[in-house]
Amino acid sequence: MLRLMTETAKLQMKQSFARPMFRFCLIANPFLNTILLYEMFLGAGEEDFFSYVVLGAGLMGLWSCICFSSAGDINRERYMGTLALVFAAPSSFQAVIYGKIIGNTLLSLFSFVVSLLTAALLFRVPVTVHAPGFFAVAFLAAVVSFIAISSVIACLLTLSRKTELYMNLLELPLALLCGFVFPVEMLPKPLQLCSALLSPTHAARLLRMSVTASPDRALFLRELAVLCVLTLLYLSGAVLLYKRIDKRVRIRATLDVA
Amino acid sequence: MNAIRRFFSEAFLSQKGRSAAFAAEEFVLFEIAYPLVTMIFYCLLASFSFGTVRLERWVIGNSFLLCTNACVFGTGRVFAMERYNGRLRSIIASPCNKLAVLLSNGVFPMLFALCAAVLGMLVGSVIFHADFSGVNLVLVAVAAVCAMISATGFGLLLASVCLISDSMHLILNIAAFLLMIFTGTEFPVERLSFAGQVFAWMMPLTKSVRATHLLLDGDSASYVPLVCAELLTALALVLLSFLILRFAETAARKNGRFDLF
Repeated sequence: MLRLMTETAKLQMKQSFARPMFRFCLIANPFLNTILLYEMFLGAGEEDFFSYVVLGAGLMGLWSCICFSSAGDINRERYMGTLALVFAAPSSFQAVIYGKIIGNTLLSLFSFVVSLLTAALLFRVPVTVHAPGFFAVAFLAAVVSFIAISSVIACLLTLSRKTELYMNLLELPLALLCGFVFPVEMLPKPLQLCSALLSPTHAARLLRMSVTASPDRALFLRELAVLCVLTLLYLSGAVLLYKRIDKRVRIRATLDVA
Repeated sequence: MNAIRRFFSEAFLSQKGRSAAFAAEEFVLFEIAYPLVTMIFYCLLASFSFGTVRLERWVIGNSFLLCTNACVFGTGRVFAMERYNGRLRSIIASPCNKLAVLLSNGVFPMLFALCAAVLGMLVGSVIFHADFSGVNLVLVAVAAVCAMISATGFGLLLASVCLISDSMHLILNIAAFLLMIFTGTEFPVERLSFAGQVFAWMMPLTKSVRATHLLLDGDSASYVPLVCAELLTALALVLLSFLILRFAETAARKNGRFDLF
C-alpha cells in the first residue's frame, strides 16, 4: 500500500507539473500574489510582511494548487477514460487517491518557496522565523490538514461532472473564510463560525503565530489541538464518504458519467 | 439588416454554447455569486491592509474588475473553445468576416460584465456602507461602459493569442492578475516603477478606474480625456486582436496546423 501511494505520488507530481494551469498555480500565482499583497500592505505602513504577504501568498498558492489539481484529478481520470479502471483495479482506489493528493500537496508547498523568494529578492522583505520549532510543527500540521480537506473535496467531486465549475468556485471563498490574507475577525460573526469549522483557518493561524516574535505557547497548543481534531474529523469523513460513493457507483454503474 | 441580424444571432448562439452545460442556478453561482465573493474578498483585504473603512475606491475599482470573469475567462476562451469543439476550421475556411465573428463573441460577455459591475457597486455599497452621495453616478456609469468595452477588447486580444498557444489557462489567469496589479484598483498606479506605470496606462480599465477615483475626489476636469483614452485603448486592443487573428490564420493556412495551435 505504501509503495502504491509513493509511486502514485511521484507520478502525480510529474503529471501535475506538466499541466500549464498547475504551473500557473505553483509559480505564477504566488509570485503575482506576493507582488499584489506587498503593494497593498505597503500602503498601510505594515511592517510584518512575512505574516500576511509571504504566508498569505504561499497559502493562497497552495490552496489554488489543491483546488485545480487534487480536487480535479478524479474528473481528469474520468476525462481520460481511466477512472473506472483505477476504481475497479485490485489496488485500493483510496490509496491511489491519497497518493495523488499527497503528491500534489507536497509539490504545492513550492508555492511557499516562490512567495518567499519573491518577497526576499524583489522587495528585500526580512525573512525571520522567530520560533523555528513552532513553525516546523505548524507547517507539518498544516500540510496534513490540507491533505485531509483535499480528500473530502476529491471524494465529493467524484459524484459530479461539473468539477471544473466547483473547482473555480472553491478557490476564493475558502481563502476568504479561512483568513489567509486578513484575520477572520474581520468577517461577520456567523461567517466566523463557518471559519472555525474549516481546518485551514487554524493552520493559517498556527503558521502566523509561529513567525511572531514570542508565540503564546498555550494558545499555540490550543489551536494545534483544534486543528488535529478537525483533521481527524475530515479524514474520517473522507473514509465514510468513500464507502458510500463506492457502494453507489457499483450499484448505479455511473462512475464514468458521474 | 440581414448582416446585423446574423451578427446578433451569432452572438446569442455563442453565448448559448458557453452556458449550455450549466443549470440556471450554476450559471447564477458562477456569473454573479462568485464575482461578488471576489469583490468582497479584495475589499476586505483592502480594508485590512490599508486600515480604512472608507472603501468607496475599492468598491468601484473591484466592481469594474468583476468584468474579468466575463471578459477574460469568457471571451478569452472563445477560439480555444471553438478549436475544442471542432468548429474553428469551418470558421477560418468560410468567407465570413472574421472581425464580425470576433466582435459577436464579445457582445454577451460585455453585457454580463456591465451587469456584474452594476451589481458589484450596489452590493458593495450595502455591505461596506460605501457612500456615493455627491458623486455623479451618470459619469460613473459612462466610465463603467467604457471600461467594459475596453476589457472586452482585452478579452478578444487574449482569445487571438490563445490561437497560437496551447497554454490558454496560464495566459488567462496571468492576464487576470495583471488587471489586478496594473489597473490601480487595488493600489495606486504611482506606486509602481516607471516601466510599470507605462505598462499600467496601456492596460484596459486603468483610465476608467482613475476617472472614477477623480470623480470620488470631486475632480471632473480630467474625466473626458481619461474616458476617451479608455475608448482608444479598446479600439487599439480590438485592432491588435484582429491583426493577431489574421497572422494566426495565415500561418495556419500555410502550415495546416490550425487545429493544433
